[in-house]
Amino acid sequence: MALIAWWAPLLWIAAAAAVIGAVAWYRRRHRVTGGIPVAHRERLTALPSYRRAMSRYRLLVAGFALCLVALVTGGAVLTARPATVSLVTPDLNNRDIVLCLDVSGSMIDYDAVVLEVFQELATEFTGERISLVVFNASAVTYFPLTTDYDYISRQLERLSEEFDDPAAPYYGGTLIGNGSSLVGDGLASCVVRFDQGTADRSRSVIMVTDNFVAGEQIFTLPQAAQLAADRGIRVYGINPGDAAAKDYLADLANEFETSVLATGGAYYALDDPSVIPAVVDQITSEQASILPGQPRVQVIEQPQPWVWLSFAGLVGLSVFGWRLKR
Amino acid sequence: MDSLLRRVRTKLSIHAHRKVRGLIEGEYRSVFHGRSMDFDDLRPYVPGDEFKDIDWKATARHGSPLTKRYIASRKHTLMLVVDTGRDMAALAESGESKRDLAILAAGTAGYIAIRHGDQVGLVTGTAESTRYMAPELTESHLERMLQRIHASTTLSSDPSNLSRQLDYVARTFRRRMIVMVIADDRQLTSDEQRLVRRLAVQHEILWLTIGDADLMREEWAGRAMYDVADSAALPKFLRDDSTLRAEYASSVTQTATTTEEFFESVTISSRRITSGAAVVPGLFRLLEAHKHARR
Repeated sequence: MALIAWWAPLLWIAAAAAVIGAVAWYRRRHRVTGGIPVAHRERLTALPSYRRAMSRYRLLVAGFALCLVALVTGGAVLTARPATVSLVTPDLNNRDIVLCLDVSGSMIDYDAVVLEVFQELATEFTGERISLVVFNASAVTYFPLTTDYDYISRQLERLSEEFDDPAAPYYGGTLIGNGSSLVGDGLASCVVRFDQGTADRSRSVIMVTDNFVAGEQIFTLPQAAQLAADRGIRVYGINPGDAAAKDYLADLANEFETSVLATGGAYYALDDPSVIPAVVDQITSEQASILPGQPRVQVIEQPQPWVWLSFAGLVGLSVFGWRLKR
Repeated sequence: MDSLLRRVRTKLSIHAHRKVRGLIEGEYRSVFHGRSMDFDDLRPYVPGDEFKDIDWKATARHGSPLTKRYIASRKHTLMLVVDTGRDMAALAESGESKRDLAILAAGTAGYIAIRHGDQVGLVTGTAESTRYMAPELTESHLERMLQRIHASTTLSSDPSNLSRQLDYVARTFRRRMIVMVIADDRQLTSDEQRLVRRLAVQHEILWLTIGDADLMREEWAGRAMYDVADSAALPKFLRDDSTLRAEYASSVTQTATTTEEFFESVTISSRRITSGAAVVPGLFRLLEAHKHARR
């Protein structure tokens, strides 16, 4: 517990002292004019009903004074702005994640699992921004970086359903271009999806592809990876095709792995979609360990008890004041 | 003649026209009933004189009533015992200052005594000190005594404690005299009651009580009020309470009755007066009561 405006109570004390002093001075000055001088007040004060009335009056005055003290104390403390000060290490809350899905025919099953996992994760996220980009010959932003998790869930769900339906237009806009699975272009597109270039956020791309390129690319995968590395973006590669031990695929997988590792990310080769949840967990937790965030002092004002004290004092003041008036 | 005594005499002439005034003098004369039989001279009868003192033969010769005067009845001493503490600077029941009523009462009694040829002395004082002025027979001496009461009774005087003065009288004066105590509504403690009982044996005691202010008076309810003893304020809001007022009134009556009963039990004549207008008639009733009290 700390006071932001620690000097405020001093002002209150000074003000209270001034008021008390003024009242005392006024009373002493006006005592001279006095009133009616009488003697032997015990004729009245010894009466039982006088004593009763007097003790009741004293009780009311005491209550009034107590409430006044509560109100002034509450007010004084409130103006001093009590707050709790703590060192916080903001962790994964300022992450931006772009899901970069290769939607060529062979990848759909894996994409679906990734979507499922992120659908679940979306319910736990606080502050992370997710974007989804699908690419084949060209990249399409399915939705941009957003924290609207309801929207994200709905979009992911919709895309999952479209994956199950061969007639659905999930690949709409992804076939413009010369070839298919232009992975380098896809990654480059994903990399430029990040906004707020200067903001202090961790940026990562989760890229699901087999790196089986057919066609003319503008960016090769290593070039795109270099682009990502230049912008401080980590690329996590999930390659379902790596397991098949074909030489030409091995080269592609190799290229994918080295590119991804060059950005500081990680590479996962797998042939079973059921492993993907564990992989995503691993990615997010790995990020957590990598990005503890800048520790900073967090000051949270704690006015509640004092507000209640002041309020109770005010209520008591009016009640006792009303009783005293009668 | 100075102002205070003139005021007393004016009051006496306003409030008691000649006849009553003569009555008072007659009543005063008969305060002492233990008379010496040494005949002194004759003087005209004034109402209030004992009938048995009338010299019927001389009256028959003279054509108007003449009263016998005895030597013993001539030189008495009236000792005024007046509380001049702070309490007496407070207000009386009528709203006048209790001090003014005390001066009026002391002045009236003293004036009558001097006119009768008796000496008048004064004992004043507070809780701290007691002052004594030896008895003399002149009006200027009476005026000085009244001035002393006037000057020493202020709101800044020492607190009152009449038992100091009563104790002083009991210890100092051996010779029997008329002691007129001018006090207020104070309650006598058991010690003081014992003292008064002793005084009543030593002297002729006339006790004049000056009624204290009515604390619950309605027209004062809106004004500040404080006790002169310690400057403690009496809260306004309580002085406007009708049930408390009723209780106060019955309590005051009760106390007055109790006090009266006490004085009766120790054979002291007492009278309670509440205003300046009541001083002269009150004094008359006091003297009359004393005459009729056969002790």
